Amino acid sequence: MSMVQFRPADAVDFIVVGIGAAGGVMAKELSTAGFRVVALEQGPWRHEKDFKHDEVGVMFRAGLTNNPKKQVNTFRKTPADPAVQQQAVEYGCMVGGGSVHFTTNYWRFHPEDFRERSVQGAVPGADLRDWPLTYEDLEPYYTKAEWDLGISGLGGSNPFDGPRSKPYPLPPMPVKSSGVLFERGAKKLGLHPFPAPLAIISQQYKGRPACVHCGYCEAFGCEVGAKSSTLAAAVPAAVKTGRCEIRPNSYVRKIEAGKDGKVTGVIYFDPDGREVFQRAKAVVVCANGSETPRLLLMSKSNAFPEGLGNTHGNVGKYLMFDSGGFAFGLFDHPLNEYKSVVATRVLHDYYRSDPKRGFYGGGGIDSRMDYYPAGFALAGMPLDWPQWGSEWKRDLAQYYTHMSGTLAHASCLAVEQNSISLDDKVKDAWGLPALRVTFKNHPDDLKVADFLMERQKEILLAAGAKKVWADQTTLGEITYSRHLMGSCRMGDDPKISVVNRWNRVHDVPNLFLVDGSSLVTCARQQPTATIQALAYRLAHNLQKRGASL
Amino acid sequence: MNITRREWALAAACWAEVARAQTNQSNLFAWFNPADAAEIKAIACQIIPDDNTPGADAADVILFIDRSLAGFDQDKQDLYQHGLAETEAKRAELFPGSTSIASLPDSQKITLLKAIEKTDFFQQVRLHTILGFFGQPMGSKFLGVQHQMHFEPPFGYYDAEAPK
Repeated sequence: MSMVQFRPADAVDFIVVGIGAAGGVMAKELSTAGFRVVALEQGPWRHEKDFKHDEVGVMFRAGLTNNPKKQVNTFRKTPADPAVQQQAVEYGCMVGGGSVHFTTNYWRFHPEDFRERSVQGAVPGADLRDWPLTYEDLEPYYTKAEWDLGISGLGGSNPFDGPRSKPYPLPPMPVKSSGVLFERGAKKLGLHPFPAPLAIISQQYKGRPACVHCGYCEAFGCEVGAKSSTLAAAVPAAVKTGRCEIRPNSYVRKIEAGKDGKVTGVIYFDPDGREVFQRAKAVVVCANGSETPRLLLMSKSNAFPEGLGNTHGNVGKYLMFDSGGFAFGLFDHPLNEYKSVVATRVLHDYYRSDPKRGFYGGGGIDSRMDYYPAGFALAGMPLDWPQWGSEWKRDLAQYYTHMSGTLAHASCLAVEQNSISLDDKVKDAWGLPALRVTFKNHPDDLKVADFLMERQKEILLAAGAKKVWADQTTLGEITYSRHLMGSCRMGDDPKISVVNRWNRVHDVPNLFLVDGSSLVTCARQQPTATIQALAYRLAHNLQKRGASL
Repeated sequence: MNITRREWALAAACWAEVARAQTNQSNLFAWFNPADAAEIKAIACQIIPDDNTPGADAADVILFIDRSLAGFDQDKQDLYQHGLAETEAKRAELFPGSTSIASLPDSQKITLLKAIEKTDFFQQVRLHTILGFFGQPMGSKFLGVQHQMHFEPPFGYYDAEAPK
């Protein structure tokens, strides 16, 4: 397919920075609406034929994600600690971004998630806030995302979900043994399991083939295009409009702003390492909850000496990570969990925060045993067992096909000092300040993860597991995340937020941010549906009103 | 699947290197010297023994470790050098008169590795050994994985319990 090419000196209508879950949607929707778009992605443009079942390359050698040896980051728990070089954030680094390699859980946030501060009250030590929009505002765009991209699920099967205007476009994926056992255990306990809504197509949809159940969903790219990534489900349509140019291997280092306070374009390193200044009438940053604030902070100018959008010092703050532990169970018969999609059953019975528990928060739980072979050998057995040698080797072979598990997706509170900032000593491979992560869980994050772990074990025991154990490495304070949320919060008050309710940066009239960074709360993780709904909403409003939101 | 000329050329070159490594023992390693390789191999073969089923030896894990240290994990070379030196010192302390890890009887190898199993060096060798064995079909087949690109339900024993 031939693709339009724009000249850097010609101002296009929009530059999209980062072609991930949100950026892919923006590229498609804006170009379809008639705008001329240049979409920049720091990673390569891979296609289905490039994806392989290569666990070592993908899982252990940053095959599809940011490479900590190039996209260097540093970590500290609090501002008082020295930041040390270690990987703290992981994101999809390719056209399609995280939507290519995510596990595909596609949960809508609940109506209460948007007004938890009003319902639950303040939480000491955290900054829990209401969103400036409601579930009802976002509902049409959840539906749009589900139907445009292709989501499989059973509408109405989760009694805790908000109202839906349409069912899912595709029936749920076939249930696996882990889902059957999860449902068995949960129903014995009086809970309400439901088929997992997944961004994988259970039947042929819009010219894409149905899932072949090969089992390589989480962390991998889909080799048949059945995963509803923006790579498969949005980018081809954007290119087809003849108004969108995709530029992979393009690393943006600065958004330029003029004296009038408007952005004029972006400076990026092209695949040969040369600097290019691409002009645009407006810029949409979709670079994820870690790289978006970093780029704003690197975009200093006379008009914005502290970086773009940072007049009140809010850029990078209130970072939220994904919490929640794994529980595993051993069963008498083979489940063969290495086949097909990861999670086929979910429950939201413990989702809502309940003051009676004595702490804020809750979580969703799904059924899964998502270890690939090497990862399983590395960390899949109980920690108090031998971890090498003949006995260990024998147990690995007995357990791998006979295990089920559950994963909790727990709340994580927004805390001001948890943040993305620029490291003042360490540089990345391009000589730019390394991304510095400051993160320490709020005590309630840990309490809710422990609470959910006990519920997870109960479900596995009720399902008939003959042995149940917690993966202790997934409990306790977390220092690493794939879900990067908060960091450029949405809000009506410019003094305490970065973007307004339309995802426009408060003090820059033609700069928009849409990705995990604008989330005010992380609900119970699984943010992709909400990120994409926000992107569809922003694109729709830009189409209606031009760049004057 | 479309395979380009360049991909064929690369694949051919890669296989040529493996064939050369397997036939020309003097050029076996890209980074290790043969003596160190024998010591690391002795450790890897305790982590995943070739007992009644194939292990680290059958899978040529030592070649995977060698190529890793010559490539993606170059930054782990120092850890291997220092870690091996410290492990040799520990061996001499535990078993005076011994000359190498590889020449220890299995029971003494296990004693030695239990003494160092918390070290960064051992954990790194364990990681590399696991990747070299379980990251390829010999290892996943050992776990009971069928290698197919396409499965159909039922996937497991309990699927049948699901309501139709």
